[in-house]
Amino acid sequence: MQQANHIEVNQLKWLGYSTDNILPDGGFGAVSARAGVGKTSLLVQIALNSMIRKQPVLHISLDSPVKKINLWYKEMFQLLVQEFKVDQERELWETILPYRFILTLKVDKFSVPRLEERVKDLIGQEIFSPRMIIIDGLPFDEPVKDTLLELKPFIKNLNAHVWFTVRTHRHEQPGPDGFPIQITDVKDLFDTIIQLHPEGEQICIHNLKGGSGEANTAKLVVDPSTMLIKKM
Amino acid sequence: MKNEISTLRNIGISAHIDSGKTTLTERILFYTKRIHAIHDVKGKDGVGATMDSMELEKERGITIASAATFCEWKNHDINIIDTPGHVDFTIEVERSLRVLDGAVLVLCAVGGVQSQSITVDQQMKRYKVPCIAFVNKCDRNGANPFRVIDQLRDKLGHNPVAMQIPIGLEGDLEGVIDLVNMEAIYFDGDNGEILRIEEIPENLKAQAAEKREEMIDKASLFSDELTEAILEEKEISPKMLLGALRKGTLSREITPVFMGSAYKNKGVQPLLDAVNNLLPCPADIQNEALDMDKDEAPVVLSTDPDKPDVALAFKLEDGQYGQLTYIRVYQGKLAKGSTVVNVRTGKKIKIGRLVRMHANQMEDIETISAGYIGAIFGVDCASGDTFVSPEINYSMTSMYVPEPVISLAIIPEDNKSQINMSKALNRFTKEDPTFRSFVNDETGDTIIEGMGELHLEVYVERMHREYNAKVTTGQPRVAYRETITKRAEFNYTHKKQTGGSGQYGRIAGYMEPCFDEEFIFENKITGGSIPTQYIPACEKGFRLCLKKGPKLEFPVTGVKVAITDGASHSVDSSDMAFQAAARGAFLEGYNKANPVIHEPIMKVAVETPTEFQGPVMGSLNQRRGIIEGSQEDGPMSVIEAQVPLSEMFGYSTVIRSLTQGKAQFTMEFAMYKQVPKPIAEELIKQKNQAKDKIKQAK
Repeated sequence: MQQANHIEVNQLKWLGYSTDNILPDGGFGAVSARAGVGKTSLLVQIALNSMIRKQPVLHISLDSPVKKINLWYKEMFQLLVQEFKVDQERELWETILPYRFILTLKVDKFSVPRLEERVKDLIGQEIFSPRMIIIDGLPFDEPVKDTLLELKPFIKNLNAHVWFTVRTHRHEQPGPDGFPIQITDVKDLFDTIIQLHPEGEQICIHNLKGGSGEANTAKLVVDPSTMLIKKM
Repeated sequence: MKNEISTLRNIGISAHIDSGKTTLTERILFYTKRIHAIHDVKGKDGVGATMDSMELEKERGITIASAATFCEWKNHDINIIDTPGHVDFTIEVERSLRVLDGAVLVLCAVGGVQSQSITVDQQMKRYKVPCIAFVNKCDRNGANPFRVIDQLRDKLGHNPVAMQIPIGLEGDLEGVIDLVNMEAIYFDGDNGEILRIEEIPENLKAQAAEKREEMIDKASLFSDELTEAILEEKEISPKMLLGALRKGTLSREITPVFMGSAYKNKGVQPLLDAVNNLLPCPADIQNEALDMDKDEAPVVLSTDPDKPDVALAFKLEDGQYGQLTYIRVYQGKLAKGSTVVNVRTGKKIKIGRLVRMHANQMEDIETISAGYIGAIFGVDCASGDTFVSPEINYSMTSMYVPEPVISLAIIPEDNKSQINMSKALNRFTKEDPTFRSFVNDETGDTIIEGMGELHLEVYVERMHREYNAKVTTGQPRVAYRETITKRAEFNYTHKKQTGGSGQYGRIAGYMEPCFDEEFIFENKITGGSIPTQYIPACEKGFRLCLKKGPKLEFPVTGVKVAITDGASHSVDSSDMAFQAAARGAFLEGYNKANPVIHEPIMKVAVETPTEFQGPVMGSLNQRRGIIEGSQEDGPMSVIEAQVPLSEMFGYSTVIRSLTQGKAQFTMEFAMYKQVPKPIAEELIKQKNQAKDKIKQAK
């Protein structure tokens, strides 16, 4: 996996995080944005980074089929290897593929006990033991606090961390604390909250919660043509 | 035979195994009066469905070879190709799709869009075949056509439009409501042959109105006239609506969905109306050929019967009266007694007998016009050959033929079987380009190669049944390959002085892995260190080395060889000397280039009740599979994985016992991938043992 070293460490670290994982064990992170701005692509980049570091990623999608998620990974991976001029792209892809598992469920079928059952089954049979979990499409417009509270101890036990996508809406103003209203009630459960916000021709990455907040942190954007994270 | 092209339809019926496509075809033939009685697949009457013409198909209840048949419905001529449902036989499906203009995608109202439907759908996409869908088995427990419509959208990415809603479901299925004409259709008579049209039942009026609105909304995108009518709140005529829907269907932007139960004789006649109204005629589809005289420039073919003939042989069968070749005419008119040329061989052929096929019965005809499908007798050709008038030299674009991934040794039991086996192999390899056979020089065994275990199994059984060739089979073997993983240089001198003129040649250069091509040869010699006349001999020498890799004697692929320097001798250098030098150079470079063994990896999709998800995943994991993901959808889950073919032998038995027979799986070739070290070592050990055995036998 020597080639993988050429791919930059998790770019989100530039926001002032001390570890590649960004989140501690049992920690929750959220990426919030309006539909189509790039929540999934940002999380797929974080996931690819984790896979390159041999940290298994369980990607749970509540609205897209396996094939579509797989395509996200393939495309983002290709963009990353082009960006970092990595040779032997195919070997690297084959090496990191076993570190990813996609699980798709219908939104109404998602529950913590169900997830626990699936994950325990995967671990028990030594098929897959996730260190990072992405939950893409959990409806934050509906009450989710109980679900998150139920999930927390399970994730802690797994020594894993979870990233969520939070879909916001154009017409809504943020809450009084500056957080998207979907997350206001549950923000205390999150270690990191990142917002993607289109500004002119760029999509800016704002760190709403977490990170060191030091002055030397970089301003990050998502390049709209490649959806890759970049320093401004 | 009418020659009005606008009333001609060439359609395929494609679907997952057990979704009932053969039963549907049988009903179509009954209602179009091509047959006078209905026999079921695995029929109790021992006759079997008409389209399953091969004995084996009747016994197994599956369709293996496509049978072409012809029928008439409401002044339209319809050619139907019944296509197989197993992935192992996809060459049949692909061939059918190549010659079809439209397709009916049959889906099960209970099982919905299954993994095989996805494969078939991808094939339809590849050949841009417009399709309509038929949700069959609405009489079964658990039937839900609207769930299937959702799956068509979510899993296959179609834009499905319900053209009907069912009147009752499961055991209460009575008929369907036609949303275009807004009427209820009931199917009376012993075999549902009498259509009774009535008003929509009161309890379904609201649902029908809602679904019709959805249909009109989607159709309006394809017709300004319809959009205007909607905006001005004018009456929307069925003709206007069907016109818009047809336009959307032909461009593959919408998929009209019909429903019913072929087995219970409900919903088949409206589907036939839809074939006439919504699927394309040959003139609606643009077909291209390659002009061989103009460097394979594409030429658009026209269905004009007065233009030179262009026809494609898409299927061969060994009939009672010799080889039967199924053809589709794309341009011109093939007439009895006319002369055509087989573009591949350049041989002139006089058309003797032309027939129209109806499963395994046939009817003699005088001509086959452009757009039509028929068969010719006694012509020696291979599947995929193009026949043209002598004045042109066009070839239809070649069909995509995948490389075989599995092989099996077959040993005839006696001399008679040996002769019959040869006959059978000769026929099968001509009929099916994915089925190959050869004799292993070392062991003397006859090896057959194909696309999967079932593929080879069926051919072995056909040998026995159709040719009375009794053969025993060895263990299936995987088609391994060798390749290199790093760049390596070579500098080899071949020098031999044994009296008389000697042999001399030096070749230097490098080899490196390449991923897109099997082999690339590059001549980078400047200054003539190897004279130009010897360069082809160098290339030939390298190419000869690819057939049997130095590591384990598997074919070598993915290698680029560049020669940069060398030397020759004015007297002792020759083609032979440089070929030998290339062999030496190849061996020198190859051993330094870190050679590895590659094995075929299959894309496996297992569809299982969710309760068995764990054991199924475990079974794939045990087989060195990488599970890509699992998709839960209602009571069923689909597990997608990449598994080495060598680990999949006998998997159908394993999965049956793991899931009480409730799961099924499909697999198709995905890629070649490096074999893990312990397995490679095991392969080397086996190879050495086999070599020792041969030595001892000698």
